[in-house]
Amino acid sequence: MAEAFDLESLVHLEQTFYDVGHEDGFAHGRIHGLIEGRALGREKGFEMWEELGFYEGFALMWQAIYTKQGRDDERAAHHTRYLLDLVKQFPRVNPSASDSSDLDIPKLFRQIRSRYKALCSTLGVKPSLRATGTSPPRNQTDDVESERQSRQVWTLEAPETKKPPAQGLDF
Amino acid sequence: MDSPWDDDAGFSSEAEWTRISNEFTNTGYREGITAGKESALQEGFDDGFAHVGVPLGHELGILRGIASALYSFLSSTSPAQDPMVVEARDIASLLANIRFTDIAPRDLEAEEHARQHLEADDNTLDMNEEVEEKRRMEELEDIQARLVRLRNCATQVRKHNSTNQKFMEFICAVTD
Repeated sequence: MAEAFDLESLVHLEQTFYDVGHEDGFAHGRIHGLIEGRALGREKGFEMWEELGFYEGFALMWQAIYTKQGRDDERAAHHTRYLLDLVKQFPRVNPSASDSSDLDIPKLFRQIRSRYKALCSTLGVKPSLRATGTSPPRNQTDDVESERQSRQVWTLEAPETKKPPAQGLDF
Repeated sequence: MDSPWDDDAGFSSEAEWTRISNEFTNTGYREGITAGKESALQEGFDDGFAHVGVPLGHELGILRGIASALYSFLSSTSPAQDPMVVEARDIASLLANIRFTDIAPRDLEAEEHARQHLEADDNTLDMNEEVEEKRRMEELEDIQARLVRLRNCATQVRKHNSTNQKFMEFICAVTD
């Protein structure tokens, strides 16, 4: 009886030690996960919305110009409205959090980019920096490229599973 | 009891206890860190994404877009040397120079945590600027110390050489 009790408690003992350590480690790891995740999320959110914001500002400015000139019905004005509407549809939180699975992010991004380029060619303006900064703007390969990139941005799963154990968190 | 067995047994069981305690607590801690980190990464990502990256990027992007449109509009209606065109181009290029790190707010929680690690005298984390600076100062001190040592050495060598010379003169004088 006494022996059985001792053995039992020993088994539990190891588990108890482990659990205590695990609980402390988990709390500490959570802090690091939040910090690292935040750094990553800031970067990606900035990158995406800097590009989208560029299209938005570009469209807003041209829209204002066309309105001022009373040319609201022209093709370029139509493009700006459409472009602004597309940007408005783009989520401002990571869709994985809000779970809006009906939204096709890469497709929307593609539509926005090609609408921007269409606007540029209607205006006779060279589609500048933005599109070239992230992907080559000229031909169809752009679509593949942008799709690949935005996927990478929106799903954290890949870097998430890759990264954590490598960091110097062991003590 | 005439045998020291009891004491030994007591001692070793205590050591064993400590060993098991440390071993399992550490294993639990290590695995807990990994698990905790994985559990929080996405949450942190979404937080940084929605509350810092997106609003900042959006704002800067809009400004850049406006500047770009303004520049192309002005340069399509005025000559390139026109002051307005020049100014619009300057604004656009200044805006283009802004990097995310220039405008990103500090992650106070991260800094605080790094400080805690520092106080715990724990060098496993990546170093922040303060640590880096401290390390540089220490390196400087090391170099200074080495310099002093070198100077001492040089004086000794000089002394030694002069002794050597005297010795040689003495030898020469004797052997002559």
